[in-house]
Formats: sequence, C-alpha cells, structure tokens
Amino acid sequence: MFLLTIMTFALLHMLPGDPAEVLLGSAEKDLSPQELQSIRHELGVDKSLPEQYIGWLRQVERGHLGRSYRDGREVTDIIYERLGATSALVGSALLVALFLGVGWGVAMVWLRSTTNGKFLESVLASGALILYCLPSFWLAFLLIGWIATTQFPQIKLLGVHPPGESGIDLANLLLPALILASRRTAKFALLVRSSMTAELVKEYVRTAYSKGVPKSIILFKHVGKNSLGPIIALLGLSVPALIGGSVLVETVFAWPGMGRLAVDATFGRNYPILLGLTLVYGTLVIASNLASDVIHHLVDPRIELEENAMTFDRMRG
Amino acid sequence: MRYRPALLLGVTLLFIPLAMAFSAPFFAAPNSALSPFSLDLDHVNLPPGSVGHLLGTDHLGRDLLSLAAWGARASLLVGLCSAFTAVLIGSVWGATSAFAGGIVDAILMRTVDVLLSIPSIILLLVIDAVLADLPFGKILPAPIVAMLGITTYSNGFLPLFTVVLVISSTTWLEAARLTRSRVQSIMSEEYVAAAKALGLNSWSIIIKHLLPNASNIILVEATLLVSDAILIEAGLSFLGLGLGPATPSWGGMLNNAQANLLSGNWWSVFIPGSLIAITVLSIQFITQES
Repeated sequence: MFLLTIMTFALLHMLPGDPAEVLLGSAEKDLSPQELQSIRHELGVDKSLPEQYIGWLRQVERGHLGRSYRDGREVTDIIYERLGATSALVGSALLVALFLGVGWGVAMVWLRSTTNGKFLESVLASGALILYCLPSFWLAFLLIGWIATTQFPQIKLLGVHPPGESGIDLANLLLPALILASRRTAKFALLVRSSMTAELVKEYVRTAYSKGVPKSIILFKHVGKNSLGPIIALLGLSVPALIGGSVLVETVFAWPGMGRLAVDATFGRNYPILLGLTLVYGTLVIASNLASDVIHHLVDPRIELEENAMTFDRMRG
Repeated sequence: MRYRPALLLGVTLLFIPLAMAFSAPFFAAPNSALSPFSLDLDHVNLPPGSVGHLLGTDHLGRDLLSLAAWGARASLLVGLCSAFTAVLIGSVWGATSAFAGGIVDAILMRTVDVLLSIPSIILLLVIDAVLADLPFGKILPAPIVAMLGITTYSNGFLPLFTVVLVISSTTWLEAARLTRSRVQSIMSEEYVAAAKALGLNSWSIIIKHLLPNASNIILVEATLLVSDAILIEAGLSFLGLGLGPATPSWGGMLNNAQANLLSGNWWSVFIPGSLIAITVLSIQFITQES
C-alpha cells in the first residue's frame, strides 16, 4: 500500500503541464507572473516534491485526498459520489459472470457425459471462446444500435436512472452489467469446463462410478468441490479486470462512475483526482486479492500462498 | 504431424487480416478513388455489396473495405510492435530477477506487483497523458525525429510510437512474471546444476540453457500479447487516445462508426469489430494448440 502511494505520486508528477495553466486555460496569458504564482501557492504545487508528497500523505491519513483542480471540491467527495455507480456496475457484472459462467461450464461438462450431447457441448464451447474474443464495447455498440432501431421500451439504454429521479434503476443497470460481464462469463465457462475435465479423469471419480454413486452427485458434490480452487482464484482476478473494463463500458453507456471520472481527469490533467482514483482502485484490487486468498485457504486448507502465485501466472487476466 | 483442426482453423482465420494488410496498397492506393481518405458525400452509408464498394461506405462515403485493409496494417503493426517491446522488456526484467535472486529479485518483483495492482486501463490513461504532452520533437535526437517522420506540419509515426509505448508499458508486467517463474523452474533443473559444476560461467548458462528452454513459453506469451495489444488499441482509440485520424485503424473505425449507429448503419460498426474478433480468435486457436 505504501509503495502504491509513492509510485502513483511519482508517476503523476511526471505528467508535464502546469496545473495552474491548465486550470486557467487560455486566460493565463492575461495574468501577471505574481498572480500565477499565487494560484500555484493556493493549489500547493509550488513546494518541492517531497514536501508535496508528505503533505498529501498527512491529508490522506485524515481522510482528505486534496481538492480537484477544476472546481475546488474535495476529491474524497467527488470519488464517493461516483463509487456507488461503479460498484453497482462491477458488482452486478461479477455476479452475472460468476453464475452465468459457472452454469455454462457445468452445462458443457454435463452435456459431454450424456449420449448425444457432444455436438451441443462443442457448440457451447466455441460460443464461449468466441464471446471471449469480442471487444465488450463493440458488443455494446451493436446492442445499442439494435435496440434503438427495434424499440424495446423495457430496456433502458443510457444513464443510471430516468430523468428527474435519483438512485440506480435496475432497468438501466441491465445492459451495461451484461456487456461488462460478457468476456468474464466466457472466461468462467471455459475455466469451469477445463478444471472439471481435469478432475473427471482422476481415480476417485472412477471409484465413485463403480460404487454406483449417481452422476449428478459425482458431478456436483465431488468434482464440483474439487474444482472450486481455480474458480475462486479467477474471482479475485476478475475484480481488476472488470474495473478496467468498466472504464470503457461507462463511457459507452454514459454511466456516471469512477471510470468516466478517470477519463475526464486524464484529459483535464486533474492530478488529485487521478491520484485518489489510483489509490481507491489499488485498494480495491489488493483487498480482492486478499479476500480470494483467504476464501481459497478456507475452502482448501492445503493451499499455500506460493501455489496461488503459480495459478496467477497460469491464468492471465 | 497429427491432424490439428484448431491450429488449421486459427491459421486460416489469421489469413483474412493478413491478406487485407498486404493487399491494401494494391487495390486502395492513397491517391486512388478507393483510398481510405477519399470522401464521397454523394454515396454515404451504402450497404455492403454496393457497386464499387464491396463492404459499403461509412457516414462520410469512405470505402469500408479500404479502411479495413489499411486498418489491418495499423492494428497488426501496433499488435506486433507492442508485443515485441513488452516481451523484450518483460523477459529481460523477469530473467534478471530470477537469475540475481535475493534483494534484486525482491525489488524488481515488488515493483511489478505494485504496478499490477493498478488496473491497467488507469495506468494506460496516466501514461498516455505523460507521453502525449512530451515535446518529442525537442527531446529525441534529430536522426530519430527524422526517422519517425516528425515535421512541423505532421506528427508522422509519432502516434504509433506513443501507442506502442503506452500498450507495452502495461503488458510487460505479465511477461516479466511469467519469465521469472519459468526461469526459476529451469534454474532448479539438474542440467543447470551440472553445467555450473562443470564450470560454465553465467553467460554461457543463460545462452545455452535458459534461453532455449524459456523461449517456447515466451513465444506463446508474445503471441497472446499481440491479441491483447490489438484489443487495447481498439479501446484506446475508442476513448480518443489512439493513433489519431491520420492513420486508419480498426479501433479508429469503431470510434468513427459510433455516430452511424442510430442512422441504421450497423455494418460500419460490425466490420472492424468482427475483424478484431477474428484476429484475436485465430491467435487463441493457434496458441491453444502449440
């Protein structure tokens, strides 16, 4: 965490462009150097870098992330406003990807064991692979275009709620969450299929079959339990991937979340906001990694940390 | 050689974007009527299969086949260059880390861990902001500026250079982790211990044992990074941080086509996206089989 703050601070201060000039835009030419200096002093960017860093860290301790260069509001407030929308989006996408993907994967394994489900299984598997290769924002374009031309009044296209209301409307959440979850769902389906397949050839499965245990119990109770590990590991890795994807999906659907804030802050060179966002995102990612490690350990106490690192290397993003 | 349908399918699919990339200058030269820059406002939003425009036109009357073919060149070039840079940096970083061990290993790998904990798109945005504002024309030595084609009037290859740098500066992290774990497992093999016992110095071990044995997995990673880079480029272009309007690319086409959707021109969105999907899919097929 500490390293994270130093690195983000260093990275952001490599950004060229004087925030005072960005804030004032073209008006800056009419100002005297003294006035410019006083604005820099007000923003605190006239001190040396270590001083700025220590000052910033002290404020973080007290829950302040500084003020936005653009409108002078507290960064904490701005991010807090946006946090709800993004967590609703990422959280529901994670749930969709988990349940849809695991269901899809189990369906494929189940179909393979039936007498004439092989073909259907290969169709489902290719479907998952193709879905994994589609850029999510492209899928969003096509869906928006299709829905807008065919008129489905039930499905809301843009924004978080109808004009004039507040809160997050489920009808508005549906499409962005499905789109954001699309590639993850395919990833979960493929992972469930491969890890269950790897379990199915083990000897305990053959023993269970020969003992006369019903197929559904073998599949869900024995094999299912043993292939949970990789799924939990992927669950932890999905949080940063979904957060990354949310930047694009939020832009497509005019979703007022942190992703769009980050894009706007990049174009506006709004360091305090970018810095705060990086910190919030980094914390979320570290927390989700930690949570998946802990759950993994609870489910399977044999798992050591080093082994988890190995699974990370095997399962790219 | 045994029959491998997925590999065959992958190579066949990959042939589509490759053929487009190679044929672009022949059927759509920059000065011809079919060039990706020639606007034809009398023939906007033509559907696929129209006379003279096989894949139709976009909202400015540009030929979509020509745009897609030139876009294939840019997108594949970005993919290859970014993957090459990322793998080069990542494998050297990871191999050094595994080979040196101890405190060097700790410092190098903690750096990678911290950078990995920032979602890559945020890192992309920040790096893009850094690079976009640097006055490259003044920083870089004159021969490189000339090579990149930067003049007072045009940025030349600069956007390409920037995008490649931006993409590879986030994707090398995975390559570094992968190389490190691979090199570490090779280092614990007995033949490396034997080579050490025989008195081979470090460089001979690296060249004779580490590189040949790690190259396989690094090559697969590089291929996957090509498809990642193509997807990232599309995303960056969509946000308006890509190659810019002067270079047609699939991501740029998607960005332009956004405006066409509501007028019913779905094919100008469909074509670049499906080309991206075909390329990524073919790479997935090929790497799964190797």
